[in-house]
Parts: sequence; C-alpha cells; structure tokens
Amino acid sequence: MLRLKKFILLSLFIASNLLSFEPFTDKELLPAIEQKHNTFAKKRASLLQERLDMLRGKSDLQKLEGVNDFFNEVEYSSDIQISSKGDYLATPWEFLCNNLSDSKDYVISKYFALKYLNVDHKKLFFTYVRSTKFEEPHMVLTYFETPKSEPLILDNDNHKISPASKRDDLTPIYNFNGDTLYKVGKNSENSHKK
Amino acid sequence: MTLFKQIALILSLFLLIILTTVLALNFKSANKGVQERLYDDAKNTATSLSLYLGSANGDTTMMSTMINANFDGGNYNHIALIDVDDKILYDRKIESNLSNIPKWFISFVNLQAPLAYANVSAGWKQVGILKVQGDATYAYKQLYAIFINLLISFAFIAVIALGALHLLLLAILKPLKVVQKQAAAITRHEFIVQKNIPYTKEFRDVVLGMNTMVTKVKAMFDKGNDELRAQKELEYIDKSTQLKNRKYLTDKLPSYLKIDSSYKGGVNMIVALNGVIEANEKIGRMRVNRLFVTIANIFSTQTKDVKDAIIARLNGTEFALFLPNYSNENAIELAKNIRQACNVAIEGAELDITQTVISIGVYEYKNTDTVSELFARSDNALAQAKFNLQHIHIEKADCAIEVMGKEAWKLLINKAIKKDRFTFVSWSVIDTKAKKLFHHVLSIQLTLDKNTSYSYAQFMAPAIQTGLSVNIYKKVLSMLLRHSSMLLSTSTYSLRLPYEYLEANDTYNELSDLLRANAATLNFKIIIELPDKLIRQDSKLIREYVALFRKFGINIGIFEFIGESDDYQYLQDLRPIYIKGESSYFLTQSDQSLSALRLITDTVGMSLIAVGVMDIQTLEKLQSRGIYVIQGKVTEELDLDAS
Repeated sequence: MLRLKKFILLSLFIASNLLSFEPFTDKELLPAIEQKHNTFAKKRASLLQERLDMLRGKSDLQKLEGVNDFFNEVEYSSDIQISSKGDYLATPWEFLCNNLSDSKDYVISKYFALKYLNVDHKKLFFTYVRSTKFEEPHMVLTYFETPKSEPLILDNDNHKISPASKRDDLTPIYNFNGDTLYKVGKNSENSHKK
Repeated sequence: MTLFKQIALILSLFLLIILTTVLALNFKSANKGVQERLYDDAKNTATSLSLYLGSANGDTTMMSTMINANFDGGNYNHIALIDVDDKILYDRKIESNLSNIPKWFISFVNLQAPLAYANVSAGWKQVGILKVQGDATYAYKQLYAIFINLLISFAFIAVIALGALHLLLLAILKPLKVVQKQAAAITRHEFIVQKNIPYTKEFRDVVLGMNTMVTKVKAMFDKGNDELRAQKELEYIDKSTQLKNRKYLTDKLPSYLKIDSSYKGGVNMIVALNGVIEANEKIGRMRVNRLFVTIANIFSTQTKDVKDAIIARLNGTEFALFLPNYSNENAIELAKNIRQACNVAIEGAELDITQTVISIGVYEYKNTDTVSELFARSDNALAQAKFNLQHIHIEKADCAIEVMGKEAWKLLINKAIKKDRFTFVSWSVIDTKAKKLFHHVLSIQLTLDKNTSYSYAQFMAPAIQTGLSVNIYKKVLSMLLRHSSMLLSTSTYSLRLPYEYLEANDTYNELSDLLRANAATLNFKIIIELPDKLIRQDSKLIREYVALFRKFGINIGIFEFIGESDDYQYLQDLRPIYIKGESSYFLTQSDQSLSALRLITDTVGMSLIAVGVMDIQTLEKLQSRGIYVIQGKVTEELDLDAS
C-alpha cells in the first residue's frame, strides 16, 4: 500500500514537471492563428507543439531528424513569390501558417525549435552556401557536434541529414551562429539586424 | 521682490528647464546614434573581414596580414581572431587617444565601444571567431563636437527666448506699472486719475476702482476748498465795505508781533467816525453805508503803496490801518491826508464835518508788543485823538532799555557765527489723543561761554536789525547737517526757516550741497517749517525748495496758518505733513470753517497743530474742537505713554 502511494506521488511529481514546460506555441496564440489564417494553420501549429513534446528527452540526432522532417513538410518558394516585401525573415509561426517559405525561414524555424529542445545553440550554425544544383544562394542549418567535427547539414532541399562531406552540391560561403548573436548582449538593437 | 521679477524668474527657470531637457534628450539621442554607428561599423567590418579571412584557408600568417591591413586602414580599438579552443590566434590593439577631449566629458559620457563578432570558416571547417571593436576616440570627438554645437545653439535660443520673454512680460505687465504709479500717488495723497485704462480685465477693474476713489477724494477736497473759501468770506470780510474785519486782524497780528518778525515795528492807526447816529437820521442809513464804502476806498487808496498793510473794519464806526515798517512821521502825514479826504467825502454826503467827525489814533508799535497791548495802546491813542483839536494823536511805544547797542550785538553775533557758538534747544509737540510725542521743535540759542548765553528771542531781533539773520541760519543749518550728533535724540525735529533766508541768492545752492553731502547720514528726521504766507504764494522758488526737500526725504510743514487763501489747492500740490496755527485761531473759527479745513487736511493726510497752548483749559477747548496735536507751555504738564 505504501509502495503504491509512493508510486502515485512520484508519478504526479513527474507529470507535473512535464506539464510545467513552457510550450513553444502558446495556446493563446492558436485562436489568433485560426482567425488570421485557417484551421489547417492552427492544426500545423498544434502538431509542431506535439512533435516537440515528443522529441523532448531524445538524443540530439533524434531531435535534429524530428525537427528537420517536420519543417521540411512545408512547401518551398522564393521570397519574391511569397510576398512583395522581398528579402523577408519569417518567424516559425508565420512560416508554418503560410506553409510556404524560402530556405532562410526553414533554417530559422529549425534553429529555434532545436534551441527549444535544449540543443546547445553553440553547435547550430546558419550557413550560407552556394548550391551547384540550383546555381543560386542557399541557406542550410549546420550542426557541429564539436567545434572541430564535421558538420551535419539540415537542408530543406535534400531532406536527409548528412555530413558535409557527402554534400558535394553545396559550397560553404559563410556561417554564423546564435553564439555570435548572444555575445553582443541583450540589447536587441545591437544584434544581427536581419 | 516685484511681481515682474517673480514671474520673470519662474518663467525663466521653466524655460531653462525645458531647454536643458531638450538639450539632454538631443544629446542622448546623438549619443545613442553614435554608439549604434560604432557597433554597425564594427559589425560590418567583422562580417566582411571574416568572409575575407575564410579565403586564407586557416593560414594564420595570411589572416594576420589581412587583419593588419584592416586595422591600420580604419578606426579600430581592437581586432582579435580567436580559434575554436578560445586561443588567440592574432590580436591587434591600440590605446584610445582622448587627450583632446576634456576629462569631465569622458566621465560624463562614459562611452563603451561595443564588440562585434563574426564566425570565420574555411570551407565547412570552423577557424574561430573574429572580434572587432571600433575606436571610441572618434565617437568621443564627434559627440563632443555635437555637445558644444548643441550648447551654443541652446545658449543662443535661451538668450533669444529670455529676451522675448522679457519683452512679453514688459508688455503684459505694463498696465501694472500704471496701477503701481497710481497707487503710489494715492499713498502720497496725490489725486491722479488714470486716463489710460489697461486692457487686462483685472488691472482695468483696479484702475477704475482707484479712479473712482481718487475722484471722490478730490471732490471732497474741492468741496472743503470751496467751503473754506466761502467761510473765509464770512469770517474775515466786512460785507458792506469789503474790508477785512477785526477777527482777521486779530488772527493775523501774531505773525507780525513776534520776535523774529520781518518787521521790527510800524504803526497801527485806528480811524473812528463819530456822529453816525445823527448822520443816519439826517441822510438815511443807505447813504451812510455808501459813505463808509467811500471812506474804505480812501483807506485802500492811501495805503496802496504800503507793503503788507492790513485795512480792517473793527466795528460799525471804527477802522484799523495796520502798517508794518511805517514810520510815525509818515503816519502823521498819512493820517492828515486820510482825514482830509474823509472830510471831503463827508461833505459830499451832505453832512457837517463838525458833527460827523473823523478821529485818528496812531500807535507806533514794536514787534515785541502783544496783540492785546497793541489794541489797548491804539484805543488809548484814539481816545486822545477824539479830544484834541486836530483829532489826530500819535502814541509811541515804550522804548525798551537796550542792554547792548546795535554795534555790540553785531560784533557778538559775528563772533558767534565765526566760532560756531550756537546750540540747539528743543521742545515737544504732543499728540494728546495718542499721548505720544509728535515731534520736537528746534530752536537755537547763542552760547558765548558757560555763563553767558542768549535765547532766540534775545539775539534774533538785533540780528534782524543788523541784517545778520540770514548768516545765522546758514551757520545753524550747516552745523545741524554736518554735525548731526549735536542732537542727542534720533527723533523727528522741525525747524522754521524764515523767508529772508530762503530768498537769499546763494541759499538754494548751499542748501542743496549741504543736503547732498549729509542728508543720507543724518540720524534724525527733519521737517522744514515754512510760513503759510510764503507757501501759499506757490511761487517757483517755493516749488524748487519743496522739490529739493522731498528729494532728500525731508517733509515740510506750514506755520502761521489762518486760512486766508483764496484757493487751498497749494495744500494738495505741495502736500505739507501738517499745518500749525495759533490756538486762538482754532478756537475762534466757526464750526463750518473748521469742518471745511478738516475736510481738506483729512483728504490729503495732513495734521492740524495748535501752537501757543499755554494751559489745560485751552487744551480742553481745543480737544473739544477736534484739535489734539498741540505745542506750547502746556506740553510740560502732560504725561506721555511709555509705549
């Protein structure tokens, strides 16, 4: 009987801790998303939260795959085709709700989702690359296990996560990560403006 | 502090606070802009240089060359390349040169050049992090220049704004000056009606209120003036002959019968007409009255050249011809002429000169006589005249036994003037209602040595005779103003100045110099007393003296007032602080006359002072007539409030 009581209390404690995580998608945001976009957009936002909840506690590689797969479901389109605003950086929710984005928005959404899942942001890089396939600038999210290790490429074109050496179609140009952003301090105006 | 200063101070402070706040906000904005620019430049350099460094494929020598090229070609404080193990691969640093910027400004701004970071990669491989920090010297210089420019601009704006504020306040508060001027005039008992009515409602109401008040007070003064003039006619003028009456002569005589009178003596001629009852029966009252008018005209004609002569009808049949400074020889001649002319007039009226007889008594008076002595001796002369054949009799005054001759007095007075042998004595003027000292009356005495001194009454008569009175006053005023410590008390003193002194050529300039040099340091207040006879002339000389005294804060008073003026406007114009009259004058005035006088004095804030009050009975009579401020022997018997 005493063991049962202990088990119930422990279960309740674990459950309460699990429930206490701050959600990536705020529940209060969902009605607004539905009103502005549609039910499908709301559904996608809810599914994202479910996917992230599911990945919590998994290895970095599982998290990378889960997040990569989820966001790669969104259809690719260039900024010009999406909006008249030109070069535009969308938030993860704009990205999901529009269900249409360019490579930068995939990278941003994947970065923040992985960061939400407690993947060390020092390991995540925004990398400008040149795609020999499309002959145009492209951006991928790169994951460095250690600063000296070969990075893994999270690409919206090639959905499979593979080491950089396997991606001959990509030529790296420039990369930066959240660590660089955070070093400028909390003043958002001093952060990378784009 | 004036209202203008208070408003100007508050608005100036308010304006300066606003300008300072705008200055601070402007500077803060410029500071923020400069700091942002500093970061943007560093970030741009970091990004472009990191891209450039990537092409070196991790060759440290190549990368350090690239960093040097950037560092030397731009304004940087620090550029560092750190590898993935946080080890510094290359570092360039320079100390900021802030020698041209004031230290207070550096500590005030405390500018921190922000660091910008960029990742450096060689292909997929991470080389490290590039750290770039701009040089704050340039930012400090730029900010300091902005700060100085802002200060100059705001100082200029502040000067313009404060100037505009001053002009605006002057324009807005201009009506207040008018109000203040009028209020000050009211305090000085001046009747100024403001014609320029201010447009500001509050000021307009005040000015209109004061105008109404001033108009009313002026109307009261004018009413008193008219009343007193009318009363003068009733009190002092004989209706049928238009000559002065006995009361006038009685009130006027004290100003001639005094020790320091301008005239040492003269003659008083009483002309009496006997047989009037018979004349009335013979030719009727109307014709007799016309005869009296003719005789009055004879008196006026015969004495028209005699300065300060008073022709008065004493009663139904007697006339007085008071002729100051007139010799007995001339008086006999004049009496004969008058008698002859009167006889012609009597005969012209179809009367017999043996029944209607003109008798003339001439009394040669001295200024030391009393009024009653003068009348008694004159009546005696008339009585004698009635019984002699010529019907003219002259009676000479008793010759006083002179202690000293004229020359001896002259020597003595000159010596006293030369050696400052004058001292001051004073007696009190008391407000018996408030039981307080009103002021002291100053007099002088001549003190030769410890045992020998002469009172004013003793030495002033010979001084006048020898023409030294002006010199005495010059000396006395010089002593009083230069050596004010001669007076022990810090009270208020009144000093009478005679006409001869004021009229002397160099008196005005000497007095001006004396007052300019000494008035500010006097430890007592002076009231200069001037005779009513002189002040009511309202001459240019008097106005100049009054202006001079006023300039140095010296008030004026009037003495020997008997209310004989044709217009009392001079009281309002010259605004003496009090009027002194003989106690007999106040006691013999009618209620209407006194009431009119009080109306005048109350509206211009003057006091009435009765002089020569010798006993308690006279004091009580004066008090019953509303005269409470007194001067005279009786003051020695009065107790004053200690407070």
